[in-house]
Amino acid sequence: MRKILPYLLLIPTFFVIIMFVYSPAVNSFKMSLYRENKFGTKTMFVGTQNFEKVFNDSEYMGIALFTLVYVALTVAATIFFAFILALLLNKNVPGTYLYRALIFIPYAVSPAIAGTLWTFLLDPVAGHVNYFFTSIFGTQIAWLTTEPYAFVALLFATVWKMMPFDIIFYIAGLQSISNDLLESATLDGAGPLTKIWKIKFPLVSPITFYLVIMNIISAMFSSFAIVDVMTRGGPGGSTTTMMYKVYLDAFSYQKTGLASAQSVIMFAIMAVVTIVYFVFGEKRVHYR
Amino acid sequence: MKKFFVVLLVVMLFVTIGMSKTKIQFWHAMSGWRIELLQSMAEDFMALHPDIEVEVQYTGSYNDTLNKLIAGIKAGTPPNVVQVYEIGTRALIDGEIAVPMQDMIDKDPTFDMAAFMPQVLNYYVVDGKLYSMPFNSSNAIMFYNKDMFEAAGLDPDKPPTTYEELLAAAKALTKKDGNGNIITSGITWPLHSWFFEQYLALQDAPLVNNDNGRTGIASKAEFNTEAGLNFLNLWKELADNDYMVNTKKEDWTGARKLFLSQSVGMLITSTSDVAAMNDGAKENGFEVGAAFLPTPADAPKGGVVIGGGSLWMIDGNPEDELNATWEFVKFMAQPTQQIKWHQGTGYFPVTKDSVTELLNSGYYGENPDHIVALMQLLFSKQDYNTNGAIMGVFPEFRNTFEDNVEKMLNGQLTPQKVLDETEKTLNELLEEYNELY
Repeated sequence: MRKILPYLLLIPTFFVIIMFVYSPAVNSFKMSLYRENKFGTKTMFVGTQNFEKVFNDSEYMGIALFTLVYVALTVAATIFFAFILALLLNKNVPGTYLYRALIFIPYAVSPAIAGTLWTFLLDPVAGHVNYFFTSIFGTQIAWLTTEPYAFVALLFATVWKMMPFDIIFYIAGLQSISNDLLESATLDGAGPLTKIWKIKFPLVSPITFYLVIMNIISAMFSSFAIVDVMTRGGPGGSTTTMMYKVYLDAFSYQKTGLASAQSVIMFAIMAVVTIVYFVFGEKRVHYR
Repeated sequence: MKKFFVVLLVVMLFVTIGMSKTKIQFWHAMSGWRIELLQSMAEDFMALHPDIEVEVQYTGSYNDTLNKLIAGIKAGTPPNVVQVYEIGTRALIDGEIAVPMQDMIDKDPTFDMAAFMPQVLNYYVVDGKLYSMPFNSSNAIMFYNKDMFEAAGLDPDKPPTTYEELLAAAKALTKKDGNGNIITSGITWPLHSWFFEQYLALQDAPLVNNDNGRTGIASKAEFNTEAGLNFLNLWKELADNDYMVNTKKEDWTGARKLFLSQSVGMLITSTSDVAAMNDGAKENGFEVGAAFLPTPADAPKGGVVIGGGSLWMIDGNPEDELNATWEFVKFMAQPTQQIKWHQGTGYFPVTKDSVTELLNSGYYGENPDHIVALMQLLFSKQDYNTNGAIMGVFPEFRNTFEDNVEKMLNGQLTPQKVLDETEKTLNELLEEYNELY
């Protein structure tokens, strides 16, 4: 009984995971080999044709490249700013708890709402951002409809949205660093910057390690709502991410085969990234 | 006491069975105040037909609704009646998932096809058959701010009718501050392919071959012509000179907001906004006018294409539900409902007797903008070009075109290049689609 019990307890979880994660995933592998009409009334086995189409599409290559840049920039910026903000929030100033709560708010907002919020703020006519830009710099910017500003706006919103999650983890990590260590460093003559980058940052490296991979996944896969609401992949398809392209093909054009092939490709990319990251990255992590 | 409850239960059971209603599901894509409007229309129907219960559900945008329909069909639980956008017509016919409306009409002697407005029928009849019930029809129209016209020294009773006049008016309306920032601009319309399609038809030019896909399946693009170029050149000229503010892709709300906040003097949008624009202008304290769409002076005169949506009866439901659905669909096309819908939104009445009734009641005298919209449709030449194109890849085409227009506005493509690129993509899309059917 003792041996079976844990498995019995896992059954409900597995039931849910199999229903909502594994079976759709397996299904999308299968669908990537077929072509189907809009209503699923006609299906045609096409082998690897969907994949060939994706790989021969220069537009898709552009989208993949953009996704790479987008993910790299957002993840780097999120990690950097989250760490800096966590350092500040870890200081004992009056009202720290209030600041922490306020800064955590973006995480609690759903991505679609976040996108809408930024759309309002960046509105060329009634938006606050442009109001400030006009009164301070004397220029108007069509944030969401011109290049490269649409990309900048998207980056900003994504980082803003992802950061709170990282901050919480960093605050927890920083709090667990013992004061003795920092005091002895001070006695040895280490300045604040040295302490931050030579002591604190390496000591929270397990957290950074975890956050980087979580942020990559989130930038890769959950960027859909923010893109859809803010730029619709525009202008001229310049902010279309791989995830948004899957959405377009699957739910705007009802090309389920093509979209499945793309999600299989994304799955493969993520698998490779994760494996490489764990094999090479983990060596540099300092576990206490 | 126990016995009494058992008897009561049995009696209640019989009563409920005796009163059992046929339940039908109606999915629609009309947001905002129109949700309540459609609900109240369904309630009127249920009051007339106590044996039928209509479940009205707002299922998101046209696109979301179509996706839910697809999911419903795949799961074997399709709704009874669904509102689908006009550009879905070909795909739904090819998908063979609907009961052609014509079959129901032919069986029902009380229903007269001649009651429909011919312009509306011309869009929805394909291969001599009416597949869906025309319901909400619209086309593009221009609104202009009469107060801003006066302030800019333009005649508020003479809206522009040609491209040349449009450019001049937009120029007069554009005002900038010392830093070159726009204070007010001339015109806007949502960055939407629909206006391109309207403008092809207005110049009596086709979008795709085989008479816009109406005498055979569309297989090649045919919009790479002077008519197409005219419109894109105008768009580029307006945008380059800041006479026009552009929205992001398919942003109807954004364009509406620009006009209602008096940031632009003219707006090209759907006639379904007539009611909303009249109310909005009143709220914001300016006088609004409606006008026909300006066209190039020397171009052939065509007309506007019907847009909007229609009601599709979905196959795979039991016979009694099918009949109940037919009753409901028929009810929605009746004058009382059509008038209620028209006045509440701005979508055209799709039947002639509704128009007659409205004329007789003096409604159009009090609401001149509504008649402008209607007249533009009635004056439209009727041929394949103005009947509108039908093809299965419309959503992809629109997105491609809009992407390319965005590139044009960002200075990466010339108007001619936009046509070339879109043509190339559309030809590929059509070939790929036709392979499957």
